[in-house]
Amino acid sequence: MIALLTGMLATAVLAGGVLALAALGEVLAERVGVTNLGVEGLMSLGAVVAIITVAATPSPWLGLLAATAAGTAGGMVFAFAAVIMRANQVLCGLAVAFMGLGLSATIGHDYAGMPSPATFGHVAIPVLSALPVVGPAIFAQNLPVYLIYLVLPAAAHWVMFHTRHGLNMRAVGENPAAADAAGIAVTSMRFWYVTLGAGLAGAAGGYLTLTYVPVWSEGLIAGRGWIALALVIFAGYRPFAATLSGLLFGLITALSFVGQARNWPIAPAILNMLPYLGTIAFIIVPVVVWHRMRRVMAAPAALGVPYHRDIR
Amino acid sequence: MARIVQRLPSVSPGRVLAWRVGAVIAALLLTTLFLALSGRDPALLAELVVRSTVGSRFGLEDLALFMTPLVLTGAAVTVTGRIGIWNIGAEGQFYAGAIGAAGIGLFVHGPALLVLPLMTVCGVLCGMAWILVPTLARAYAGVNEIITTLLLNFVAALLTSYLAVGPWHDRVTGALASTARLPVAIPDLWGVVHWGFPLALAVVAALAATLDRTRWGYEVRISGANPEAARYAGIPVRARIVAVMLLSGALAALAGVSEVAGTVHRLQGGIANNFGYFGIVVAVLARGSCLNVLPAALLMAFILDSGIVLQTQQLTASTVLAITGLVLFMIAIGDELAHYRPVSTSRLSTNKGAAP
Repeated sequence: MIALLTGMLATAVLAGGVLALAALGEVLAERVGVTNLGVEGLMSLGAVVAIITVAATPSPWLGLLAATAAGTAGGMVFAFAAVIMRANQVLCGLAVAFMGLGLSATIGHDYAGMPSPATFGHVAIPVLSALPVVGPAIFAQNLPVYLIYLVLPAAAHWVMFHTRHGLNMRAVGENPAAADAAGIAVTSMRFWYVTLGAGLAGAAGGYLTLTYVPVWSEGLIAGRGWIALALVIFAGYRPFAATLSGLLFGLITALSFVGQARNWPIAPAILNMLPYLGTIAFIIVPVVVWHRMRRVMAAPAALGVPYHRDIR
Repeated sequence: MARIVQRLPSVSPGRVLAWRVGAVIAALLLTTLFLALSGRDPALLAELVVRSTVGSRFGLEDLALFMTPLVLTGAAVTVTGRIGIWNIGAEGQFYAGAIGAAGIGLFVHGPALLVLPLMTVCGVLCGMAWILVPTLARAYAGVNEIITTLLLNFVAALLTSYLAVGPWHDRVTGALASTARLPVAIPDLWGVVHWGFPLALAVVAALAATLDRTRWGYEVRISGANPEAARYAGIPVRARIVAVMLLSGALAALAGVSEVAGTVHRLQGGIANNFGYFGIVVAVLARGSCLNVLPAALLMAFILDSGIVLQTQQLTASTVLAITGLVLFMIAIGDELAHYRPVSTSRLSTNKGAAP
């Protein structure tokens, strides 16, 4: 039982890390008022670039860096269209998702099925890793785990809610015209946060192939990008909540893993549906059950609306 | 600061069309450039593409075969677009329709004249059931339909492969991940093109008439353009949203039925072949008009058919997805650029003088 719990939590931390990282990136983009629907494609791009990089230079950190760079580049393409050209965000997002998925399949064609030559190793933290269950599951993980669950959300939370820059950033997402009038550079704020968020999506894809599923195949991301998008709504556009909901969905994924490993009398395909069905339930049930939730968890007011200075 | 461009609040359809044609050409040129840079001969590729699409009887048959599901999924996304909703789940509803049709085809035996309509009805009901939860969540709780419809695509794909390798697996020939061949099929019309093709065209024509010429269609459009005004005018907006989304699910499912009963003749994993996602592209190209879905689906079928040529050139089938994404991307930018027109500086200065 202890072994089962430990294994499940360890899987949840890994699987959840991928979602948490991508969701955190999307929180940044959506807080400045831009919905980036391209996350799935950007993650796919990050995943394949990470594999290709570690095939050349066997350092997982370089792989993660390259994945982040790939996501950033893809994000700049998206932000060019959606922020600078002010094109329809749903269209650009879907276009980037398609391009990312197609491009990653094309450049990853020769790497399909090849196991990742380098992955992140486990580092046991002295004392803490000796704790039962949480010790091996949380304190004997790869190092990026701490980056994903602690450093990045803490940094994002602090910047967003405890600095003037964060106030400006949220103003851009709530009321870009007012922010513009107050002298905030709306376009550049949007461009850079969307790009940064896309970089995190790329990193999430790289993290997937460098730790949890260390092999490239087409369709590897399997909807994780879209789940991350849903988590942002579920988390009410808050960094720590997004990270924690990533972990929660990691647990659901782990449940289907454990079910398959222990030969539960449920078909694996049905167990694999759990994360998707769970996500749907988690974004529908709260608004149905608790109506006040809608106001507490409301999206930034200008989310999805391109900002034109000319229109008054 | 002298502004040399001016943003127009609304744009004429002709202007948008011109920009879109330019966008599609730009996307195809960029693709050719990429292929040339990766060491492939564009002239040879172009010749192969023409021969495998419009240049031969085989090619034309393939185009019609690709067009059939695209017309229906494109119409499915167009319909929801009329009321301001994105149905990104046409892929899942396609699977649901395929499952429903295959279930009847495999287990109900009888004359084709009886079984085929039954397959269609069952498939369509499955498609409507598949979009039901996102529909109710959107209409009554305001839950974002993009994510809910999309996530169900993965569930539908898993369910399809589960059925194809599990309970419905063909145990006689033991084919990999597929059910047995269905005993009934939609009759062929012209080569490999079956009656599903003209039927799909007829469905879209009927849909265009309903949306453009009836009171119901008008109410749908008003509900999409201005929900507040629609409610004030006494239009039951929620009921219209529910009806339109269910109709959309039915159309996408119909594509699945035609694919199972007319083209593939069995249920297999991945049978939807991204047709649901390409339906989004068709709908975007069609710009909300059902009749425009036909040329848009033709263009999309042409791109997909060309993709087969690319596969003979050591590129994966997914390269087409990237090309489609590029087309979509260019169109998104083109649509926005169509809003701008150059303004001569002299006129600008007089305007400035007149402005309060």
